[in-house]
Amino acid sequence: MQSSETANSHLLAVEGLTQDFATVDGRVRVLENVSMQIEKGEIVGIVGESGSGKTTLGLAIIGLLDSPPADIISGSIVFEGRDMLMLSASELSHFRGPVIGMVFQESLAALNPVYRTEAQLRESIEVLRRAQKLDLTEGAERKMMVDILKDLRLDKPEVVLKKYPHELSGGMRQRISIAMAIVEKPRLLILDEVTTGLDVYIQNRILTILKDLNQRTGTTMILITHDLTVASQICDKLFVMYAGRLMEEGKTQEVVNAPIHPYTQKLMAAIPQGFIDAPPLPAPTGEAPDIRSLPTGCKFHPRCPFVMEKCKENEPPLLEASDGRHVSCWLVEKK
Amino acid sequence: MNNIVEADNLTVTFRARGGGSFLFERGSNMINAVDDVSLRVREGETFGLAGETGSGKSTIARVLVGLYRPRSGSVKLQGKEIDFRKKADVTYLRRNVGIVFQDPVGSLNPRLKVREILNEALVAQKAFGRNEFENRIETIIDHVGLRKSSIEAYPRELSGGEKQRVSLARALVVPKKLLVLDEPTSSLDVSIQAQVLNTLRKLKSDLALSCLFITHDINVIKYMSNSLGILYYGKLVEMGPTFKVVTNPRHPYTMKLMANVPRLKRVEAQQELLTEQGPSPTGCIYSKVCPQVFEKCVNAPPLFSLGSDRFAACYLYEGNAQMSDG
Repeated sequence: MQSSETANSHLLAVEGLTQDFATVDGRVRVLENVSMQIEKGEIVGIVGESGSGKTTLGLAIIGLLDSPPADIISGSIVFEGRDMLMLSASELSHFRGPVIGMVFQESLAALNPVYRTEAQLRESIEVLRRAQKLDLTEGAERKMMVDILKDLRLDKPEVVLKKYPHELSGGMRQRISIAMAIVEKPRLLILDEVTTGLDVYIQNRILTILKDLNQRTGTTMILITHDLTVASQICDKLFVMYAGRLMEEGKTQEVVNAPIHPYTQKLMAAIPQGFIDAPPLPAPTGEAPDIRSLPTGCKFHPRCPFVMEKCKENEPPLLEASDGRHVSCWLVEKK
Repeated sequence: MNNIVEADNLTVTFRARGGGSFLFERGSNMINAVDDVSLRVREGETFGLAGETGSGKSTIARVLVGLYRPRSGSVKLQGKEIDFRKKADVTYLRRNVGIVFQDPVGSLNPRLKVREILNEALVAQKAFGRNEFENRIETIIDHVGLRKSSIEAYPRELSGGEKQRVSLARALVVPKKLLVLDEPTSSLDVSIQAQVLNTLRKLKSDLALSCLFITHDINVIKYMSNSLGILYYGKLVEMGPTFKVVTNPRHPYTMKLMANVPRLKRVEAQQELLTEQGPSPTGCIYSKVCPQVFEKCVNAPPLFSLGSDRFAACYLYEGNAQMSDG
C-alpha cells in the first residue's frame, strides 16, 4: 500500500478504501478505492448528492460501522500513524470522542430528549475526564460547560444548560451537539450535514463559529455536506464524491473557480443564479444512481453531457489534472 | 394587472406558553406571529416572502389556505372578501388556493398510492366528474414531470424530489387561482432542488400560475419571484420588485440579510453575524440591533413608500416618497 512514512506525515490518510455492505439483496459496494489525505489544522469538505457515500466514509473513519454488515475489502485508514482498521473494539472506543469526534445531522435524534443540556454535556466531560485522568471539581466542570456554550455564541449559557432539547431551536440544538463533541477536545472533528435543514442565517452562524474554533484551537475538521456553497465557505480542500467514489479533489478555491469534473460543474450549476428572467438551471438530470445497480464504466456517464464511448466501458482512475488536483475523468487524460 | 390576492393588515396571534386561558384572549401573553402585514399577489406573478425561521412566513401561507384564522385584517381572493368565520368562505379559499409544504414525507399519506392521493383531492374539491379523474391525473403527472409509472407507486417508493412533485400534483390536480409554496425545496439536495425549481418555472408559464413562494433562501427566491417581501419577526420590513430589493436593499435589516447570502466563496472567521437577539419589544422591531437607530425608532414605523412600487418600514425613509430609485 503506502509506505508508513508518507502516511505518518498526514493527520489522517485514507488509502484505497473499498467497502461493502452485506444486505438481503446481496453485497453492495458502498466505497470504491477512496483515498484522501488530511493535514493537521485543515478543514476539508466531502461533497456529493444523497447516497454518494459521504456519511459512510465519515462513519468508517471514526469506526462506527458494525461488521457485519460493513465489510472492508481493502485499504487502510491511518490516523496519526496508527492504522485504525487494526484496532480492537476497546482500543477504538478510546479514540472515539476525545481523539476523533463526530456530530450528526439530526440534532433532535442525537440528543437525549429526557436530559437537560447540562446532563448531556456532563456525559461528554466525563468521557474526557476518564480519558485524560483529569481531576475536575463540580465548579470546574460547570465552568467548562458555560465556556463551551459561550464559545458557540449561545446567549445566556446558564439558561440554556437548564433546557431540554425540545425547548431549544434547531440552530441551538445543533450547537449543543457540536458542544458535546468539542468539549472532549478531539483532534479530528467529523461534521455530518450539521447545517442541513437550518435556515441560511443560522447556517452562516454555525459555519463562522466552526471556522473560529478551527483557527483558535487548530482542530482539524471534516465537513460532510451536499451543499457546495456551504462547503466552499470554510473548507480548505474539497473532495467530491459520487456513487462511493472520489470524482474530484483539490483546493476549495481552485475547485470552485474552475471545476474540472463534469459532475462538479453540474453541482455548481444547480445553485440558483440570477433573477426570474434567468434561463433554466443547467442542473444534472436524473438522480444519483442506485448503488445496487451501478452503470458500467464511469458511474456518472449516463448523466454526463460530455460522455464518450470510452466512458461507457472503462472507469477512469483518479488522474492528476494539475498541481495537487485529481479528477476521475477521461477528459483530463485527453488534455 | 389584476391582483389575485389582496391581504390587508393581517395580524395572526398565538398564545405564548404559560399565557392566558383562551386562545384569542387579549393580553401580554399573546404573540403576534404576523403583525399588520399587507401584500398583493398579481395575476401570473410570483410573490416571494423571505425571512429567517420564526419570521411568520409559514403563518401567512396557512392563513391563505384557511388553516389559520387571522385575528384582524382582510384577505381578498380575486376581489372576493373572505370571512374566516364562514365555512363556505373558507371552503372557497381552500378550493382555490393550493399549497405545497416543506416536508414531502410528512405531507403524503404513506398508505395511499399516488393515484389515490390525487383522487382524494379530486373527490374533495368536486371540480370534475368521476369520468374525468383519470385524464386529470395523467395530465397533471405529466405537467409536474413525473413518470407515468409513478401513478401506481407508494410515496416510500419515490425519491425526495419525486415526492415533492406529487405534492405539487396534488395541489394542482384541480386548477387553482393561487399556488402557495412553503419552502418547497428546502429539504432537497441542491441538484434535485434545481430540477424542481426548473419544473416550477415551467409550470408557472404553462399554466399561467400565480404563486406565493416562501423560503429563507435568497438565492432561490430571487430566481423565482417577481416581487419580494422581507419579514422580520412577523413584520413586513421591506417590499418591492425582487431585483431592486436584492440589489439595492433599503431597510437596514434587508441590507444585513443580503450581505449574509451564502455564495461560493470563503467566509472570514470574524465576519459580522446576523444577531440572534430577537425583536425589540417596543418601537421599531429592529431597533434593538439596528446600526442606524435614532430617536424616532422608539415608535413603530409604518411602511413608507419609496416610489416605484417599493416600501420600507423604516423612519430613514419618512417623507422620502419622491426619492429616486436606483
